[in-house]
Amino acid sequence: MNFDQLKDEWNNNNTQHQEVSEDMLKIKEARTPIDKIRKQMKQEFILQIASLILGAFVPKIFDFSMPLKSTYLIFYGIAVAFCTYYFYKFYTFYKHSYDLSIDSRKNLLWFYYEMKLNVELYKALTYIIGFIMISFCATALFLTKNDLLARILEQLSLTYIVLNAFITILIIGVLTELWARFYYGKHIKQIKVIIDSLDEE
Amino acid sequence: MHDTQKIFLQQINENKGIIHKVAKMYMDNPLDQEDLFQEIVMQLWKAYPSFKGTSKFSTWMYRVALNTAIVFFKKDHRKVDKTSLNEQIEIADFSDSHEKEEKLAYLYKAVQELNQIEKALIFLFLENQSHKEIAQNLGITEVNARVKLNRTKEKLQQIIKKNGYEF
Repeated sequence: MNFDQLKDEWNNNNTQHQEVSEDMLKIKEARTPIDKIRKQMKQEFILQIASLILGAFVPKIFDFSMPLKSTYLIFYGIAVAFCTYYFYKFYTFYKHSYDLSIDSRKNLLWFYYEMKLNVELYKALTYIIGFIMISFCATALFLTKNDLLARILEQLSLTYIVLNAFITILIIGVLTELWARFYYGKHIKQIKVIIDSLDEE
Repeated sequence: MHDTQKIFLQQINENKGIIHKVAKMYMDNPLDQEDLFQEIVMQLWKAYPSFKGTSKFSTWMYRVALNTAIVFFKKDHRKVDKTSLNEQIEIADFSDSHEKEEKLAYLYKAVQELNQIEKALIFLFLENQSHKEIAQNLGITEVNARVKLNRTKEKLQQIIKKNGYEF
Protein backbone atom coordinates (compact mmCIF):
# COMPACT_ATOMS: atom_id res chain seq x y z
CA MET A 1 0.00 0.00 0.00
CA ASN A 2 1.53 3.25 -1.13
CA PHE A 3 0.41 6.02 1.22
CA ASP A 4 1.98 8.82 -0.83
CA GLN A 5 0.03 7.74 -3.90
CA LEU A 6 -3.08 7.45 -1.79
CA LYS A 7 -2.49 10.96 -0.46
CA ASP A 8 -2.27 12.34 -4.01
CA GLU A 9 -5.49 10.63 -4.98
CA TRP A 10 -7.17 11.87 -1.82
CA ASN A 11 -6.18 15.46 -2.58
CA ASN A 12 -7.08 15.25 -6.26
CA ASN A 13 -10.52 13.90 -5.55
CA ASN A 14 -12.78 16.86 -6.24
CA THR A 15 -16.24 15.42 -5.92
CA GLN A 16 -18.96 18.03 -6.39
CA HIS A 17 -20.99 18.58 -3.25
CA GLN A 18 -24.23 20.35 -2.49
CA GLU A 19 -23.88 24.00 -1.41
CA VAL A 20 -24.17 24.85 2.28
CA SER A 21 -27.21 27.08 2.55
CA GLU A 22 -28.38 29.65 5.09
CA ASP A 23 -31.06 27.19 6.29
CA MET A 24 -28.41 24.72 7.42
CA LEU A 25 -27.25 27.21 10.05
CA LYS A 26 -30.65 27.16 11.72
CA ILE A 27 -31.16 23.42 11.83
CA LYS A 28 -31.94 21.38 14.93
CA GLU A 29 -30.17 21.16 18.24
CA ALA A 30 -26.55 20.12 18.67
CA ARG A 31 -25.80 16.41 19.13
CA THR A 32 -22.54 16.36 21.07
CA PRO A 33 -22.66 14.20 24.26
CA ILE A 34 -22.72 17.30 26.42
CA ASP A 35 -25.75 18.63 24.55
CA LYS A 36 -27.49 15.29 25.02
CA ILE A 37 -26.80 15.36 28.77
CA ARG A 38 -28.00 18.96 28.96
CA LYS A 39 -31.20 18.03 27.14
CA GLN A 40 -31.87 15.13 29.53
CA MET A 41 -31.10 17.32 32.55
CA LYS A 42 -33.47 20.00 31.23
CA GLN A 43 -36.28 17.43 30.98
CA GLU A 44 -35.61 16.21 34.51
CA PHE A 45 -35.35 19.78 35.75
CA ILE A 46 -38.93 20.46 34.61
CA LEU A 47 -40.05 17.33 36.47
CA GLN A 48 -38.15 18.37 39.61
CA ILE A 49 -39.66 21.87 39.58
CA ALA A 50 -43.14 20.33 39.21
CA SER A 51 -42.43 17.99 42.16
CA LEU A 52 -41.28 20.90 44.32
CA ILE A 53 -44.43 22.89 43.54
CA LEU A 54 -46.57 19.83 44.24
CA GLY A 55 -44.61 19.31 47.48
CA ALA A 56 -45.86 22.64 48.80
CA PHE A 57 -49.43 21.25 48.79
CA VAL A 58 -48.63 17.96 50.55
CA PRO A 59 -49.77 19.16 54.07
CA LYS A 60 -53.09 20.29 52.55
CA ILE A 61 -53.58 17.13 50.47
CA PHE A 62 -52.86 14.77 53.40
CA ASP A 63 -54.49 17.04 55.98
CA PHE A 64 -51.45 17.24 58.29
CA SER A 65 -51.89 18.22 61.92
CA MET A 66 -50.35 21.55 63.01
CA PRO A 67 -47.11 20.09 64.55
CA LEU A 68 -46.65 17.80 61.54
CA LYS A 69 -47.31 20.68 59.15
CA SER A 70 -44.66 22.84 60.88
CA THR A 71 -42.15 19.98 60.79
CA TYR A 72 -42.92 19.35 57.13
CA LEU A 73 -42.38 23.01 56.26
CA ILE A 74 -38.94 22.98 57.94
CA PHE A 75 -37.90 19.92 55.89
CA TYR A 76 -39.51 21.36 52.77
CA GLY A 77 -37.63 24.64 53.28
CA ILE A 78 -34.30 22.79 53.58
CA ALA A 79 -35.10 20.77 50.42
CA VAL A 80 -35.99 23.95 48.49
CA ALA A 81 -32.74 25.63 49.64
CA PHE A 82 -30.64 22.68 48.43
CA CYS A 83 -32.57 22.48 45.16
CA THR A 84 -32.08 26.21 44.51
CA TYR A 85 -28.33 25.85 44.98
CA TYR A 86 -28.08 22.81 42.70
CA PHE A 87 -30.45 24.21 40.09
CA TYR A 88 -28.25 27.29 39.90
CA LYS A 89 -25.23 25.01 39.32
CA PHE A 90 -27.09 23.08 36.61
CA TYR A 91 -28.21 26.33 35.00
CA THR A 92 -24.57 27.49 34.82
CA PHE A 93 -23.64 24.16 33.25
CA TYR A 94 -26.52 24.48 30.79
CA LYS A 95 -25.51 27.97 29.70
CA HIS A 96 -21.75 27.38 29.66
CA SER A 97 -20.75 27.32 26.02
CA TYR A 98 -17.87 25.21 24.76
CA ASP A 99 -15.12 26.04 22.32
CA LEU A 100 -14.47 23.36 19.72
CA SER A 101 -11.59 25.27 18.16
CA ILE A 102 -9.15 24.28 20.93
CA ASP A 103 -7.01 21.15 20.49
CA SER A 104 -8.75 17.75 20.71
CA ARG A 105 -7.14 16.73 23.98
CA LYS A 106 -8.21 19.90 25.83
CA ASN A 107 -11.64 19.65 24.24
CA LEU A 108 -12.13 16.03 25.30
CA LEU A 109 -10.91 16.69 28.84
CA TRP A 110 -13.26 19.66 29.13
CA PHE A 111 -16.21 17.53 27.97
CA TYR A 112 -15.25 14.67 30.30
CA TYR A 113 -14.81 16.67 33.50
CA GLU A 114 -17.74 18.98 32.86
CA MET A 115 -20.05 15.98 32.35
CA LYS A 116 -18.63 14.05 35.28
CA LEU A 117 -18.89 17.01 37.65
CA ASN A 118 -22.50 17.68 36.77
CA VAL A 119 -23.54 14.06 37.00
CA GLU A 120 -21.91 13.92 40.45
CA LEU A 121 -23.80 17.08 41.46
CA TYR A 122 -26.98 15.51 40.17
CA LYS A 123 -26.34 12.37 42.23
CA ALA A 124 -25.53 14.45 45.34
CA LEU A 125 -28.84 16.31 45.02
CA THR A 126 -30.74 13.02 44.74
CA TYR A 127 -29.02 11.69 47.90
CA ILE A 128 -29.79 14.90 49.81
CA ILE A 129 -33.46 14.94 48.80
CA GLY A 130 -33.75 11.22 49.57
CA PHE A 131 -32.18 11.76 52.99
CA ILE A 132 -34.47 14.72 53.75
CA MET A 133 -37.53 12.65 52.79
CA ILE A 134 -36.48 9.72 55.00
CA SER A 135 -35.73 12.07 57.89
CA PHE A 136 -39.14 13.66 57.56
CA CYS A 137 -40.87 10.26 57.42
CA ALA A 138 -39.00 9.18 60.59
CA THR A 139 -39.89 12.44 62.39
CA ALA A 140 -43.51 12.12 61.26
CA LEU A 141 -43.70 8.63 62.75
CA PHE A 142 -42.58 9.91 66.13
CA LEU A 143 -45.00 12.83 65.96
CA THR A 144 -48.02 10.68 65.10
CA LYS A 145 -47.70 8.18 67.94
CA ASN A 146 -51.31 7.10 67.76
CA ASP A 147 -51.00 5.71 64.29
CA LEU A 148 -50.82 2.00 63.69
CA LEU A 149 -47.44 2.27 62.00
CA ALA A 150 -46.00 4.13 65.00
CA ARG A 151 -47.27 1.42 67.31
CA ILE A 152 -45.68 -1.28 65.19
CA LEU A 153 -42.46 0.70 65.27
CA GLU A 154 -42.47 0.75 69.09
CA GLN A 155 -42.38 -3.04 69.12
CA LEU A 156 -39.32 -3.18 66.88
CA SER A 157 -35.77 -3.11 68.22
CA LEU A 158 -33.54 -0.08 67.68
CA THR A 159 -31.02 -2.18 65.71
CA TYR A 160 -33.76 -3.25 63.35
CA ILE A 161 -34.87 0.37 62.77
CA VAL A 162 -31.30 1.59 62.20
CA LEU A 163 -30.63 -1.32 59.85
CA ASN A 164 -33.79 -0.52 57.91
CA ALA A 165 -32.84 3.14 57.58
CA PHE A 166 -29.39 2.11 56.40
CA ILE A 167 -30.81 -0.30 53.80
CA THR A 168 -33.28 2.32 52.56
CA ILE A 169 -30.47 4.85 52.04
CA LEU A 170 -28.43 2.13 50.35
CA ILE A 171 -31.30 1.37 47.98
CA ILE A 172 -31.63 5.09 47.15
CA GLY A 173 -27.88 5.16 46.48
CA VAL A 174 -27.95 2.10 44.21
CA LEU A 175 -30.99 3.38 42.30
CA THR A 176 -29.36 6.81 41.84
CA GLU A 177 -26.14 5.22 40.60
CA LEU A 178 -28.04 2.99 38.16
CA TRP A 179 -30.19 5.89 36.96
CA ALA A 180 -27.13 8.13 36.38
CA ARG A 181 -25.23 5.31 34.69
CA PHE A 182 -28.16 4.48 32.43
CA TYR A 183 -28.89 8.07 31.36
CA TYR A 184 -25.51 9.78 31.53
CA GLY A 185 -22.80 7.17 32.12
CA LYS A 186 -22.70 5.91 28.53
CA HIS A 187 -21.54 9.26 27.13
CA ILE A 188 -18.94 9.79 29.86
CA LYS A 189 -17.55 6.30 29.27
CA GLN A 190 -17.31 6.86 25.52
CA ILE A 191 -15.36 10.09 26.01
CA LYS A 192 -13.06 8.39 28.55
CA VAL A 193 -12.24 5.65 26.03
CA ILE A 194 -11.25 8.30 23.45
CA ILE A 195 -9.08 10.19 25.99
CA ASP A 196 -7.34 6.93 26.92
CA SER A 197 -6.62 6.15 23.27
CA LEU A 198 -5.13 9.64 22.88
CA ASP A 199 -2.93 9.17 25.95
CA GLU A 200 -1.57 5.76 24.98
CA GLU A 201 2.11 5.94 24.13
CA MET B 1 -28.75 37.85 5.38
CA HIS B 2 -26.10 39.45 7.62
CA ASP B 3 -22.65 40.16 6.21
CA THR B 4 -21.01 37.83 8.77
CA GLN B 5 -23.31 35.01 7.72
CA LYS B 6 -22.61 35.73 4.05
CA ILE B 7 -18.82 35.66 4.58
CA PHE B 8 -19.11 32.50 6.67
CA LEU B 9 -21.17 30.68 4.03
CA GLN B 10 -18.75 31.74 1.32
CA GLN B 11 -15.78 30.40 3.31
CA ILE B 12 -17.63 27.21 4.19
CA ASN B 13 -18.59 26.56 0.59
CA GLU B 14 -15.01 27.09 -0.53
CA ASN B 15 -13.88 24.45 1.98
CA LYS B 16 -16.91 22.16 2.18
CA GLY B 17 -14.91 19.27 0.75
CA ILE B 18 -13.12 19.05 4.12
CA ILE B 19 -16.42 18.57 5.98
CA HIS B 20 -17.59 15.94 3.50
CA LYS B 21 -14.34 14.03 3.88
CA VAL B 22 -14.52 14.18 7.69
CA ALA B 23 -18.15 12.99 7.61
CA LYS B 24 -17.23 10.06 5.34
CA MET B 25 -14.23 9.15 7.49
CA TYR B 26 -16.29 9.03 10.68
CA MET B 27 -19.59 7.58 9.50
CA ASP B 28 -20.21 4.82 6.96
CA ASN B 29 -23.97 5.16 6.73
CA PRO B 30 -25.03 7.99 4.33
CA LEU B 31 -27.74 9.15 6.77
CA ASP B 32 -25.21 9.38 9.59
CA GLN B 33 -22.80 11.18 7.26
CA GLU B 34 -25.53 13.73 6.52
CA ASP B 35 -26.21 14.16 10.26
CA LEU B 36 -22.53 14.65 11.01
CA PHE B 37 -22.14 17.07 8.09
CA GLN B 38 -24.98 19.22 9.47
CA GLU B 39 -23.62 18.99 13.00
CA ILE B 40 -20.17 20.18 11.84
CA VAL B 41 -21.67 23.08 9.88
CA MET B 42 -23.70 24.09 12.94
CA GLN B 43 -20.72 23.81 15.31
CA LEU B 44 -18.58 25.83 12.89
CA TRP B 45 -21.23 28.55 12.83
CA LYS B 46 -21.47 28.50 16.64
CA ALA B 47 -17.68 28.71 16.97
CA TYR B 48 -17.27 31.30 14.19
CA PRO B 49 -16.96 34.27 16.62
CA SER B 50 -13.82 32.57 18.00
CA PHE B 51 -12.19 32.64 14.55
CA LYS B 52 -9.90 35.66 14.71
CA GLY B 53 -8.36 35.26 11.29
CA THR B 54 -4.83 34.79 12.69
CA SER B 55 -4.68 31.36 11.00
CA LYS B 56 -6.14 30.14 7.72
CA PHE B 57 -9.89 29.47 7.76
CA SER B 58 -9.24 25.87 6.70
CA THR B 59 -6.82 25.33 9.64
CA TRP B 60 -9.46 26.51 12.11
CA MET B 61 -12.04 24.41 10.28
CA TYR B 62 -9.98 21.19 10.63
CA ARG B 63 -10.02 21.56 14.42
CA VAL B 64 -13.72 22.30 14.82
CA ALA B 65 -14.72 19.63 12.28
CA LEU B 66 -12.52 16.95 13.84
CA ASN B 67 -13.45 17.83 17.41
CA THR B 68 -17.12 17.61 16.47
CA ALA B 69 -16.62 14.28 14.69
CA ILE B 70 -14.61 12.80 17.59
CA VAL B 71 -17.40 13.40 20.12
CA PHE B 72 -20.30 12.79 17.72
CA PHE B 73 -22.14 9.55 18.29
CA LYS B 74 -24.50 8.20 15.69
CA LYS B 75 -28.17 7.61 16.40
CA ASP B 76 -28.51 4.35 18.31
CA HIS B 77 -31.29 2.87 16.20
CA ARG B 78 -29.26 2.85 13.01
CA LYS B 79 -27.56 -0.46 12.33
CA VAL B 80 -23.86 -0.59 11.57
CA ASP B 81 -23.19 -1.93 8.11
CA LYS B 82 -21.09 -5.05 8.55
CA THR B 83 -20.92 -6.23 4.95
CA SER B 84 -17.47 -6.83 3.54
CA LEU B 85 -15.59 -4.42 1.32
CA ASN B 86 -16.06 -6.52 -1.77
CA GLU B 87 -19.80 -6.79 -1.21
CA GLN B 88 -19.98 -3.04 -0.78
CA ILE B 89 -17.98 -1.94 -3.77
CA GLU B 90 -18.71 -3.43 -7.14
CA ILE B 91 -15.75 -3.50 -9.45
CA ALA B 92 -17.47 -2.55 -12.65
CA ASP B 93 -14.96 -0.38 -14.41
CA PHE B 94 -11.19 -0.54 -14.52
CA SER B 95 -10.61 2.91 -16.01
CA ASP B 96 -8.11 5.09 -14.18
CA SER B 97 -10.55 7.50 -12.54
CA HIS B 98 -12.84 4.70 -11.46
CA GLU B 99 -9.91 2.81 -10.03
CA LYS B 100 -8.99 5.87 -7.98
CA GLU B 101 -12.54 6.33 -6.74
CA GLU B 102 -12.72 2.66 -5.94
CA LYS B 103 -9.48 2.91 -3.98
CA LEU B 104 -10.87 5.81 -1.94
CA ALA B 105 -14.12 3.92 -1.39
CA TYR B 106 -12.09 1.02 0.03
CA LEU B 107 -10.16 3.45 2.18
CA TYR B 108 -13.36 5.01 3.59
CA LYS B 109 -14.72 1.56 4.32
CA ALA B 110 -11.50 0.37 5.96
CA VAL B 111 -11.13 3.43 8.24
CA GLN B 112 -14.48 2.56 9.83
CA GLU B 113 -12.56 -0.11 11.77
CA LEU B 114 -10.27 2.53 13.31
CA ASN B 115 -11.04 4.39 16.53
CA GLN B 116 -11.90 8.12 16.66
CA ILE B 117 -8.29 9.24 17.22
CA GLU B 118 -6.84 6.93 14.57
CA LYS B 119 -9.35 8.32 12.06
CA ALA B 120 -8.22 11.87 12.95
CA LEU B 121 -4.57 10.87 12.47
CA ILE B 122 -5.16 9.36 9.04
CA PHE B 123 -7.36 12.26 7.99
CA LEU B 124 -4.78 14.89 8.95
CA PHE B 125 -2.01 12.86 7.29
CA LEU B 126 -3.99 12.63 4.05
CA GLU B 127 -4.64 16.38 4.26
CA ASN B 128 -0.85 16.89 4.06
CA GLN B 129 -0.45 17.97 7.69
CA SER B 130 3.03 17.61 9.16
CA HIS B 131 3.68 15.65 12.37
CA LYS B 132 3.96 18.98 14.18
CA GLU B 133 0.58 20.18 12.89
CA ILE B 134 -1.06 16.84 13.69
CA ALA B 135 0.36 17.04 17.22
CA GLN B 136 -0.93 20.61 17.64
CA ASN B 137 -4.40 19.70 16.41
CA LEU B 138 -4.72 16.70 18.69
CA GLY B 139 -2.92 18.22 21.68
CA ILE B 140 -0.24 15.54 21.92
CA THR B 141 3.54 15.61 21.53
CA GLU B 142 5.14 15.46 18.10
CA VAL B 143 6.86 12.17 18.96
CA ASN B 144 3.58 10.67 20.09
CA ALA B 145 1.89 11.89 16.89
CA ARG B 146 4.60 10.22 14.77
CA VAL B 147 4.41 6.93 16.68
CA LYS B 148 0.62 6.88 16.61
CA LEU B 149 0.47 7.71 12.91
CA ASN B 150 2.90 4.92 11.99
CA ARG B 151 0.92 2.42 14.07
CA THR B 152 -2.33 3.57 12.52
CA LYS B 153 -0.91 3.24 9.00
CA GLU B 154 0.17 -0.32 9.77
CA LYS B 155 -3.24 -1.11 11.24
CA LEU B 156 -4.96 0.33 8.18
CA GLN B 157 -2.78 -1.74 5.85
CA GLN B 158 -3.69 -4.88 7.77
CA ILE B 159 -7.40 -4.06 7.63
CA ILE B 160 -7.25 -3.53 3.88
CA LYS B 161 -5.25 -6.72 3.38
CA LYS B 162 -7.60 -8.69 5.64
CA ASN B 163 -10.54 -7.55 3.54
CA GLY B 164 -8.88 -8.82 0.37
CA TYR B 165 -7.86 -5.60 -1.28
CA GLU B 166 -4.32 -4.40 -1.87
CA PHE B 167 -3.14 -1.08 -3.28
